[in-house]
Amino acid sequence: MKNERKRTFLLITIPILALFVCFNTIPLIRGVIYSFTNFKGFGSYDWVGFRNYIDLFSDVRVGKSYLFTFKLAIASTIVVNVISLLLALALNSKIRAKSFFRGAYFLPNILGALVVGYIFNYFFTYILPAVADMIGIEALSSSILSNPGAAWIAIMIVCAWQAIAMNTIIYISGLQTVPEDVYEAGGLDGATGWKQFKYLTFPLIIPFFSINMVLCVKNFLMVFDQIMALTKGGPAQSTESISYLIYNNGMSGGQFGFQSANAVVFFIVIVVVSVAQMKFSGKKEEQL
Amino acid sequence: MKRRKMKYLKAALCCTAAAMAAGGCGNAPEDDKTQIEIVQYKPEAANYFSMVEKEFNETHDDIQLKISSPNDAMTILRTRFIREDYPDIIGIGGDINYSYFVEAEILADVSDYKGLQNINQAYLDIDEALELVPTDGTYAVPYVANAAGVLYNRDMFAEHGWEIPQNWEEMISLCEEIKAEGILPFYFGFKDIWTCLAPWNAMAVDLAPADTAKQVNRGETTFSTEYREVSEKYLKLLNYGPDDPFAYGYNDACTAFARGESAMYPIGSYAAPQILSVNPDLNLDSFVMPACDNQEDNTLNSGIDLQFCVMADCPNKEAAYEVLDFLLADENIQKYIDAQTAIPCKEGDFALPSILDGMTDYILAGNMTDYQDHYYPSEMAVDAQIQTFLLQKDVNAFLSKFDTDWQRYNRDIIRLVQDYEKEHGNAN
Amino acid sequence: MITKRTNTPAMVLLILGLSTIIFPLYLTIVIAFKQPSEMTNSISGILSLPKVWSLNNFREAMEVTNFWNSLGNSLLITLVTVGLSIAVHSLMGYALGRNKAHSKFYSFVYLFIVSGMFVPFAILMMPLAKQTAEMGLANWVGVVLLYVVFYMPMNVLLYSGYLVNIPMALEEAAKVDGASTWRTYWKIIFPIMRPMHATVAVLTALSVWNDVMTPLVIMAGSEQNTLPLAQLNFQSQFGTNYNLAFASYLLSLIPILIFYIICQKQILNGVVNGAVK
Repeated sequence: MKNERKRTFLLITIPILALFVCFNTIPLIRGVIYSFTNFKGFGSYDWVGFRNYIDLFSDVRVGKSYLFTFKLAIASTIVVNVISLLLALALNSKIRAKSFFRGAYFLPNILGALVVGYIFNYFFTYILPAVADMIGIEALSSSILSNPGAAWIAIMIVCAWQAIAMNTIIYISGLQTVPEDVYEAGGLDGATGWKQFKYLTFPLIIPFFSINMVLCVKNFLMVFDQIMALTKGGPAQSTESISYLIYNNGMSGGQFGFQSANAVVFFIVIVVVSVAQMKFSGKKEEQL
Repeated sequence: MKRRKMKYLKAALCCTAAAMAAGGCGNAPEDDKTQIEIVQYKPEAANYFSMVEKEFNETHDDIQLKISSPNDAMTILRTRFIREDYPDIIGIGGDINYSYFVEAEILADVSDYKGLQNINQAYLDIDEALELVPTDGTYAVPYVANAAGVLYNRDMFAEHGWEIPQNWEEMISLCEEIKAEGILPFYFGFKDIWTCLAPWNAMAVDLAPADTAKQVNRGETTFSTEYREVSEKYLKLLNYGPDDPFAYGYNDACTAFARGESAMYPIGSYAAPQILSVNPDLNLDSFVMPACDNQEDNTLNSGIDLQFCVMADCPNKEAAYEVLDFLLADENIQKYIDAQTAIPCKEGDFALPSILDGMTDYILAGNMTDYQDHYYPSEMAVDAQIQTFLLQKDVNAFLSKFDTDWQRYNRDIIRLVQDYEKEHGNAN
Repeated sequence: MITKRTNTPAMVLLILGLSTIIFPLYLTIVIAFKQPSEMTNSISGILSLPKVWSLNNFREAMEVTNFWNSLGNSLLITLVTVGLSIAVHSLMGYALGRNKAHSKFYSFVYLFIVSGMFVPFAILMMPLAKQTAEMGLANWVGVVLLYVVFYMPMNVLLYSGYLVNIPMALEEAAKVDGASTWRTYWKIIFPIMRPMHATVAVLTALSVWNDVMTPLVIMAGSEQNTLPLAQLNFQSQFGTNYNLAFASYLLSLIPILIFYIICQKQILNGVVNGAVK
């Protein structure tokens, strides 16, 4: 009996793992090899040893992109998780027109980058300053997209606006795993509102909270589309994310080798961050 | 449960397979014909090229021509190069990618192509200059060029009696005059970083040597020396633009200029179709950016917008040349320049688009200089550095960063140039 | 207490939040119906209704993108990817989720696969373009295979997270009846995970539907377009026809929205299943 179970699990795992290694790990290793060359993406190339890695740590632009990306990711993760959890609770409660609301809140995620970029550019360039002028908020009377100190906030807003849909869906499916009788039992003990959420609902959806944290970190640390749609790295190179540099200079530019090195280091950094995060929330799960 | 899921899946598969089949997957090539495939990088000219493809195939029995005009063609080309799946001919711009491709030895030498004799020598020289180190042979057939300077609203100029400025002093006094009448002289779309390069290039050709980048690579000068005047004059222009030029993108600027919100827009001829799409009745003309103090020193900023390169891998060069002959036929070039407001690289009697009226003298005299940014590696992001400079207005910081970054991003090229100099230097 | 009344604070919150969605959607629709000559930079101009409501933009957008053909390709790729993802990823999620707590091997495989999520696509792009071409997979099949691999980390994470809330007792009961692990999985676990299948279907379909880079790189030169690839035709550096583009984006939004609404029902049905305890 035990052996049959073990064998089945192995028979499932091995082929799928092989597929994964073939299309993820092997190309990754090839990519790592390029990071030791001055490959431009075509033509011949030379081995340059660790030069790309040494350059990486002395490159101010790369350093700045790390700071920007992490600032954006942390802020967006907090904003997105708070709002999506609230939305998921609201969408899961007894409301009218539930399907309509669920459909509507899903829309931001499917509008193409071109549309989102155009509309939010318009909003930040023309509408927001006009509104701010009308109600007399000096700080917002010029476009925040042209302000090197504030452009990242605009990007955060758009990132959050788009990402909330996805995180909400995951929270909603998490809420489905909370059996009704838990609430009924809780209701008898007098747990309502915030208390009910804190002691009954939230502990049960912690796995989904961790999933959302990991997905947020992944999506926001690898932010690219929103940057392309809104600022293309400007103003004054203040919104160049790591992925933007890797793609723009590596794929479109002639720095394929150097940006491969950047990608390798970046990959290691995110893995470390996420593993730490999963360990942390894993401990939380065990405590409960 | 499982069976039901599978049923859905199967049904879905059938539906989509049918859709695929209806769309027509396979168009098998007719075997006895020579296949020539062109990938060209200007999707906006897709209609023109599908017309050429059709006409060519109707008149040629022995060659089957296929032209694709994909968006993001550079990514597609690079992917195909890495797969060693080369098209026969590529249509690209005369910029640093061309330099890289020549250096990578993936282009064929076309110096035996007869059509080259009719190409304007100025453009062949530009291609020659783009080679990182002097390389024997010719690797591209220039097709059309574009030009950058200042676009202006002809009706507005006529109404107020403004004159086209011929030197820097007149330029500034014109701007003051326009401003005094309560009209915005320039619109800028600096939120789209690449547009920062348009005035930069147009002024730099006037004020810096045409081969600045190559001189720096040889260690003969620095950008701090050559670009100081350009930078200072650029800051002056900024005074005559909108309050916050970094808030508006290229599209905003085109729309605003088309709606008469400014008298001039310093950009290239390529912007005309977008501007005219917003306001088809706009009376549009252009003039050469007069950045020099003396009129005679000014030159038109013009570079190769589209050129055709035969790939080294192309099995049938004769057929490729036949296709090039067809593309270079006078009536086809005329159709292209009409549709795209371009300048032909071929010599001949072509009718230039009316928006280039103000530049015609320079074009006919051959007084043209290539875009400086065609020598900049894109990963150095000179456009973003210029945007930063225009925001911070610190000439010294900008130029010294330009010099240090240049050394860093061009390390391999500089080494190549210096090796070449060492090898060939004594011979000269 | 559970009441049958409408939750008023939730309603208010939802309606307020809705304005952040209605406004962009309104702009999208209005712009999709306008002509390029109606575009301005003034606020009243952008908010105004189009001069004529005509479907010409939509018709032209369909022509430019070769709509039915591109739609067919997009549907094919999306549906096959979603079907395969549900089958393959749920199995993997099950195998890893049930074993990672007590086995070093499975816990390693789990972390190995999940960390694949963080590989920047740009570094894989060139090697994959080469590899798929060498394997004769420079077509839609290759794109589907790549998607199954790309979305495996996220989906395995989701499935194994969901498994935590499915009690082992269910499986043990089946085992007592003499069912094999394989049979138990398909008979008991797979149906219970239905809300998660729907979630995975939505998330995977959405990412696939909007993706440009993978088909661009893998199918380059194959003459086959997906919808997002065809939509690239509307924009170039020197000129973008926003009106046609917006019309086309509205068209391509409809299939995925319908798909989402169908799946959403499944997520809801999960309440009943989840309550089995």
